[in-house]
Amino acid sequence: MPHTQDDTNTREPWHRVHPVSPLVRGWIAVVAIAFVYGQNTLSSFIEPELSSPEDGFMMGESLLIPILIGSGILIVILLGFLGSWWFTKYQITDRHVNVNSGMVFRKQRQARIDRVQSIDIAQPLVARIFGLAELRFDVADSGSAAMSLAFIKLSEAQELRNTILARAAGLKSSTGQQHTEVSTQLTTVMDPETTTHLQTSLPQQVPSPAPTSAGVQTQQASERVVAMVPLGRLIGSLLLRPVAIFGLVAIIAVGVAMSMVEDFRPLFLLPGLLGVGGLMWKHINTGYNFKAATSADGLRLSYGLLDTRHQTVPPGRVQAIEIHGPLFWRRAGWYRVAVNVAGIGGPGAEDSEERSVLLPVGTYEDVLAVLSVVLPDPGVQEARDFFAAAINGTGQDHGFTTSDPRVRPLSPLAYRRQGFAVTHTALVARNGALHRTTVIVPHERTQGIRLSQGPLARRFNVAEVGLATTAGPVTPVVKQLDVEEARALFLSQSDRAALARKKFDTNHWLEENLHDEER
Amino acid sequence: MQQEPIDPAGITWMRVSPQYAKVRMVGWGISALITLVVLSVPLVLQLTGVWPGYPLWLGIGLPAIVLIAELIRLAVIPRQVAAIGYAERDDDLLVRHGLMFQKVLVVPYGRMQFVDVAVGPIDRMLGLCKIKLHTAAADATAEIPGLPLAEGTRLREQLAARGESRLAGL
Repeated sequence: MPHTQDDTNTREPWHRVHPVSPLVRGWIAVVAIAFVYGQNTLSSFIEPELSSPEDGFMMGESLLIPILIGSGILIVILLGFLGSWWFTKYQITDRHVNVNSGMVFRKQRQARIDRVQSIDIAQPLVARIFGLAELRFDVADSGSAAMSLAFIKLSEAQELRNTILARAAGLKSSTGQQHTEVSTQLTTVMDPETTTHLQTSLPQQVPSPAPTSAGVQTQQASERVVAMVPLGRLIGSLLLRPVAIFGLVAIIAVGVAMSMVEDFRPLFLLPGLLGVGGLMWKHINTGYNFKAATSADGLRLSYGLLDTRHQTVPPGRVQAIEIHGPLFWRRAGWYRVAVNVAGIGGPGAEDSEERSVLLPVGTYEDVLAVLSVVLPDPGVQEARDFFAAAINGTGQDHGFTTSDPRVRPLSPLAYRRQGFAVTHTALVARNGALHRTTVIVPHERTQGIRLSQGPLARRFNVAEVGLATTAGPVTPVVKQLDVEEARALFLSQSDRAALARKKFDTNHWLEENLHDEER
Repeated sequence: MQQEPIDPAGITWMRVSPQYAKVRMVGWGISALITLVVLSVPLVLQLTGVWPGYPLWLGIGLPAIVLIAELIRLAVIPRQVAAIGYAERDDDLLVRHGLMFQKVLVVPYGRMQFVDVAVGPIDRMLGLCKIKLHTAAADATAEIPGLPLAEGTRLREQLAARGESRLAGL
């Protein structure tokens, strides 16, 4: 195999994915073809009674031909699978992941390891049966072009993930050895005492690990679970979604209305129930057994009932965080946490909706625990009180600047809540009276700032400030701010962002001074 | 250039070429013509007797209203062009747009992913170009249309150089 690219490291071995993987990916097609073909062939045998009796003579012969054609098609498909398997190769070097694929149209793709935004191990049901997994590697492009190794053995996938993360972290070893040391070190840092401390008095800084020596061998960076979603809460949260509530109300209403009519059968309601049920199922399938954990590699998420997924988001990859408290969840005290991560949330990205969720439904404590991982340093004194004000509060307490009461005609409910606060590390925007949202954008992640005003806002002398982040579910915006304050925020925030950019570069999160070497 | 209340304090805006209004007007002319032709079809059908049931007042009124709206749009174009401005600061580029819906955008040089310079057929006739600065965020794409070619080239080089020296991760 020719390796024409300069950066291709010839010392590292090339690997192939598991031979059954094309089958795992293409089994639906195979089954569909077999089904359609089989049905057609069979029906031509069941039908003959209707046609002339002579056809019965042909049976022995006509059975042979379809079988030949069928097996011919099967062989062609299998050869195609074999070819696509043979020509798919991957290599992991110190700085790059290379994947070569394609039989007729050859494709070589190279991704820089230090640009990794998130790394997933996904196991669709069929792959799980075979003990296989897909390793996905997202870089910060506009979405669709993530690197994917599908499928390799689960243990192999985990090993590769650890290797890639170790190299991405800036450890220049060719094995996972040093990485192991770091993770062990982190384990000692995260002893139970720290844990309880974290959970009781939140966003204290999660100690950032420094590569020093330690001895014990572990295969992967050890995790500490920070939040879990019990099944009961997941189902409860789904039932308390507007879609579910309105869906059920609509079905009942239609049912009652229809029962007035004669010859009513409950069967008529089936499509509606299936629709709502299907939506529920999707959320249960992806939210089942949800676990968020911290490790030296960043935040680890794992979830899934039939199709499982283990997601790792390295530190500093989170561009914006949103805590959403919908009206219907308020009584139960539940929140949802979503993030923007480059490469995940783009319009072309697969499963972008579920992969952007850090916590599908969690208690207040869960939210704080997850926050403490993705935002280790909130940059305020009394973080707990601050976040209480941010997530549920109104008014000007804890450094919040809110809309002026004169915008009351525009936002009769939200005007006392919508506003922002600036901490040393992030901008916190607060919005919504019924469905409350809180958006946090770290200063060094600010991509750009927008200041805008429409004709109505001009009449009220207010303006809107929006922070630009990568594509995703979170849209940071501070609404209906007094023009003077908005202008001040616009300028001061761009200065803060510039300052923060100079201080941090989290491409290699365990290594300092990489900058010179990199460019 | 007139300072709008929304403009941040202490910024001197560079304005784009007034010639750019011509580019916008050509665009306006094409779209207005198409809209008017489409809207006049029922009137023509009515007058030629193909569709006698169509009310005459509607046939005349609808294109007339649209024509007035389009003429207002045309009248506003020079002011809209005058409202476009940009300012280079040490760490970032500011771009402003709009009269009715005003928008000021700041994009740090270090966040820049790539710069586009686009020249359309009418731009070329007038010696103008459009610069587009892309970042990782879709909504932080700074667009400056109607720059004289020389200024566009200078700005592109300047942006590239500053982006290089202030390059940040993501």
